[in-house]
Amino acid sequence: MPTGQFRSRTLRRVFVKAPGGNVKIQYKERKPKRSPCGVCGTQLAGVPRERVPKMMAMPKSSKRPERPYGGVLCSSCMRTAMQRKARGAQ
Amino acid sequence: MNIFDTGRVCVKLAGRDAGKRCVIVECLDSQFVLVDGETRRRKVNVKHLEPLEEVLDIKPGISHEQLHAVFEKRGWNVWDTKPKNAAARPQQKRKVAVKDTSKSKEKKATKLKGKEVEASAKNEESPALAALEKPKKIKAKKEE
Repeated sequence: MPTGQFRSRTLRRVFVKAPGGNVKIQYKERKPKRSPCGVCGTQLAGVPRERVPKMMAMPKSSKRPERPYGGVLCSSCMRTAMQRKARGAQ
Repeated sequence: MNIFDTGRVCVKLAGRDAGKRCVIVECLDSQFVLVDGETRRRKVNVKHLEPLEEVLDIKPGISHEQLHAVFEKRGWNVWDTKPKNAAARPQQKRKVAVKDTSKSKEKKATKLKGKEVEASAKNEESPALAALEKPKKIKAKKEE
């Protein structure tokens, strides 16, 4: 029976095979949700699911796509936004 | 007449140049065009362009420098690559002690003489002997 703090499911369980052959359970923090597009709500590609300290260690260019509204809007929503902007400027 | 003809001003919709103004420099294909201006000069699919009303009077295949002038007249931004040569690094200078000209001359003289002795020793005898002789002579000079 695991100790009290590990009986809840707030921490996820990772099964690891020890060198002796027996399986051990490691308790790790859960990853955050996938970030959604601000308009249509689909899951964004190119945005990693990591906790804050790991994200802070990453370079900026690997945290989101390198286009305008990268990491906020999905590519198709960004395109329509740009189209609207161009047509409005005329 | 094709909308995407040379001189047509467009806005790029996709990629890192999205939302930037560009001009079609050359029609390569029914689908692909060469584009330059605020974006990088590159081949682009027509699907990634939003055509505007304006058409510039431009020769097909105009160079980037010429287009730069056209854009600047209109007050539009132009994509410019950064110069490749890095700025000159600050070089460290050796700290030079205040020279006594007379002393330095003496030192040079001793060095020269030492070398001569070495050379002669190499010719005649073993270099170990020359090494023994050399410091003695310098010491003697210093005493003088």
